[in-house]
Amino acid sequence: MSENQDFDQVIKGHDYDGIEEFDNPLPGWWLVTFLGAIIFAFGYLYYYEMSSGPSQVVLLEESMQVLKSLKKSGPAMDEEKLAALATSDKLALGKTVFTGKCAACHGQNAEGLIGPNLTDKHAIHGTSARMDIFGIVVDGVLDKGMPPWKDALTPDELVNVVNYVHSLKGTFVANGKPVQGNEFQ
Amino acid sequence: MESHTKLIEVKYDDRIVRQFFMAMMVWAGAAFIFGVWAALELADWRVNANLQWFTFGRLRPLHTNSAIFAFAGNAIFAGIYYSTQRLLKTRMASDILSKLHFWGWQLIIVGAAITLPLGFTQSKEYAELEWPLDIAITLVWVIFAVNYFWTLSIRREKHIYVAIWFYISTILTVAMLHIVNSIEIPVAMFKSYPVWGGIQDALVQWWYGHNAVAFFLTTPFLGLMYYFLPKAVGRPVYSYRLSIVHFWALIFLYIWAGPHHLLNTALPEWAQTLGMVFSLMLWAPSWGGMINGLLTLRGAWDTLRTEPIVKFLVTAVTFYGMSTFEGPLLSIKSVSSLGHYTDWIIGHVHGGTLGWNGFLSFGMGYWLVPRLWKTELFSKKLAETHFWFGLFGILLYYIGMWASGITQGLMWRAFDGNGQLLYPDFVETVTRIVPLYWVRATGGTLYLTGYLIMVYNLYKTIKNSKGVANEVVMVPATMEDHSKVKDTGHRWLEGSGPVFSILALIAVAIGSIIEIYPTLNIHKYVPNNVTVAPYTPLEHLGRDIYIREGCYVCHSQMIRHLDFDVARFGSPSLLEESMYDRPFQWGSKRTGPDLARVGKKYPDLWHFKHMINPRDIVAQSIMPNYPWLAEQSVDFNVLRKRLSVMKMLGVPYSDDEVTRAAELAETQAKQIAEGLTSQGAPAGLEKKEIVALIAYLQCLGQKRGEKSVSISN
Ligand code: HEC
Ligand code: HEC
Repeated sequence: MSENQDFDQVIKGHDYDGIEEFDNPLPGWWLVTFLGAIIFAFGYLYYYEMSSGPSQVVLLEESMQVLKSLKKSGPAMDEEKLAALATSDKLALGKTVFTGKCAACHGQNAEGLIGPNLTDKHAIHGTSARMDIFGIVVDGVLDKGMPPWKDALTPDELVNVVNYVHSLKGTFVANGKPVQGNEFQ
Repeated sequence: MESHTKLIEVKYDDRIVRQFFMAMMVWAGAAFIFGVWAALELADWRVNANLQWFTFGRLRPLHTNSAIFAFAGNAIFAGIYYSTQRLLKTRMASDILSKLHFWGWQLIIVGAAITLPLGFTQSKEYAELEWPLDIAITLVWVIFAVNYFWTLSIRREKHIYVAIWFYISTILTVAMLHIVNSIEIPVAMFKSYPVWGGIQDALVQWWYGHNAVAFFLTTPFLGLMYYFLPKAVGRPVYSYRLSIVHFWALIFLYIWAGPHHLLNTALPEWAQTLGMVFSLMLWAPSWGGMINGLLTLRGAWDTLRTEPIVKFLVTAVTFYGMSTFEGPLLSIKSVSSLGHYTDWIIGHVHGGTLGWNGFLSFGMGYWLVPRLWKTELFSKKLAETHFWFGLFGILLYYIGMWASGITQGLMWRAFDGNGQLLYPDFVETVTRIVPLYWVRATGGTLYLTGYLIMVYNLYKTIKNSKGVANEVVMVPATMEDHSKVKDTGHRWLEGSGPVFSILALIAVAIGSIIEIYPTLNIHKYVPNNVTVAPYTPLEHLGRDIYIREGCYVCHSQMIRHLDFDVARFGSPSLLEESMYDRPFQWGSKRTGPDLARVGKKYPDLWHFKHMINPRDIVAQSIMPNYPWLAEQSVDFNVLRKRLSVMKMLGVPYSDDEVTRAAELAETQAKQIAEGLTSQGAPAGLEKKEIVALIAYLQCLGQKRGEKSVSISN
């Protein structure tokens, strides 16, 4: 570069408090980047805003469809199938889920806090049947502050925590919240 | 030739430069300490110490304001006053205006330091200060502008140098941004509502916020670079042509890029796309500045090894190059979907502020102080040590936040084979990055240590000074024109301050008008079968508490059009849902989960317990405790005025609701308090702030409805 006669020529008359300026050309690669970005920008703008480019609403719908298609509904449950899955190691797993996700509202020992006591013989919804518990836990009671868990727990976790809650029924832990709902057998 | 010109003596005003420089050093300390403190609050929530004045929500704005306006602000004023007088060969036009500028600015900073901890905030990022301070900023800025353009008109150097171009565009654009973003209606001494609502407010705020970065942290610093870098290395500027092209491209393109802060949101898509593509086009013009800076060093690279000043300046320019590459990258919609709301953005801005603004200011400082105090730098070695502390500090910070942001971003979007979120528990994604918060705090502490070394070094330097005096120079009595030929093209423009300034203003006005104007009438974007109920008086009051506590610095209220946002938080936020929100609360960071649809998700008692101590509910939470909310009482009587202003701005309240606002709020508060007490919360909550806040939280996402429209309409 130093052989180039036109390079590093100080511009006459450009002297500002001792600062001078060269008259060097714009670097080629820089110019290419700049023009490239401009061309891309207008192409993008044209495709998405003036032509057939999909909108964010359409893109979102598509990806939600994909997610839905992935959803394998767990095997249909009934009382016996649930009971068969209530082994002691699975109950232990259910307890971990309970401490992590449910204890904030139902208390560490399910004695009741914001949500009802789960260890007495009363229920606001249904009975102590596993399928009744399963239904509440899956769909929640949105208006009353019990969240639905079908998307936040895996099918295995759901089964385990339901069986764990079932195993607590009638154990009457200490400091239990007063009973709510109807008595069941 | 020269000998024909009559010379006169000019005494530059260096006192004002010393004052601004000292102020910069003092506020830098404050800004860095607030920064480290805030960093520690995220690493360990106990550092909040249950002190309402310094919880994270109030401390972070204090940190950003002191870093940007107090530290960087005083740095640019020091540099501008020093270089402008020399580049224009004249003393500043009015010493009185210079003094008013200096003291006015410091008073505003003191005002900010008092009001922000007290919770007086508009909650608009980098524009949090309430209306009395907004007016003060406008006045002081006008004083600065008058002084500056007056000085320009009495210059003795005909052509204005590239540094001055950048200063001019700074002064004009900051005035425009500040005024437009601060159009607000006061309802009390330190409380106001913006006239902009919902997406308008979002767009205007990020047009402002992004361009505060552009015209407060970029253009003035480029001006400083163009003066101090060639001075420090004694080499000519690499390319005058590049200066011209990158200057005009930069200021014209920058102003459009604001919406890149709002990608994938409810903002109309054309505006998002403009924000993205203009950011991409901005990359090369930004790098033009970096190239011109770095290539100016050709032939003087050895000074990089020997001179700490050059180290600081060159590293600053390098960080400028990194940030201005990363910025366009993050503006690509898909990259934004990963990086937005995460610590990646925090890392990005600190690369810019600590690296570019901080190091440039330090380099300038080491160069200026010996000249301003007529002495030698006490220790080059200590300056060198400062440099390494600072650099390692930045690297730890930057790398820590990259790792944190990208980790959390990937966890948020991870699905399992069943189409379910892999980490449905938000707090799980927080726990994972807390160790990186310690890394960040360590980086910040190193940077702070470097600064303390500088303070010591400069203190010793100044102590050695044998007295200061304003520099006296001999300059031509009349305007000097070096060139012998008639000016054409850009050279002509450089000879005409007014024309140059007007063109610069037009350049920034075009993008502003094209983006903001169409959203002024947002109703056209709202389907006409949609209804949005306004907040009840109590909810409105709760919202004002939410704003006061700065919950928006940790919580967004904007579910983006992205599958993983929707899977986690519910259907995407629509623009009409925040239509009446003044100010908007979309937020920019998710340290905690999005709250746009949190209403009715939990019982009132859950919120009560959670606000008093989040860890009672979520053991690993890093959210601060808010015990004072259950102790402090609200004043329902302020509501009438507040609602009447809302009504005036177009929120559909009936006259009756406005007149009876206090009564309505009281009734609703009583209901909620009774419910809480019956579930086990203490009695006597009906007048407490927490009840209003819970009312607000419970209504989030509940306000939109649809009515069937009759065909005949
Ligand atoms: C946000 C607080 C909250 C969380 C977290 C929560 N619950 Fe609940 N739960 C409630 C409330 C409140 C009710 C009472 C609903 C009603 O009154 O209809 C309830 C009710 C129930 C019931 C029905 C009790 C009855 O008396 O009929 C069951 C079973 C239950 N929850 C199980 C769980 C399980 C299992 C989890 C964890 C996976 C869990 N809950 C997590 C708040 C919660
Ligand atoms: C330092 C950041 C921080 C600040 C400030 C903060 N939060 Fe949080 N917030 C969090 C984190 C982290 C979580 C998630 C863990 C938890 O639930 O506590 C959270 C959770 C929440 C939740 C539960 C959301 C859900 O869907 O489970 C609510 C409600 C909430 N915050 C309200 C507030 C309010 C109101 C304020 C202001 C008074 C506030 N937060 C201030 C960090 C913060």
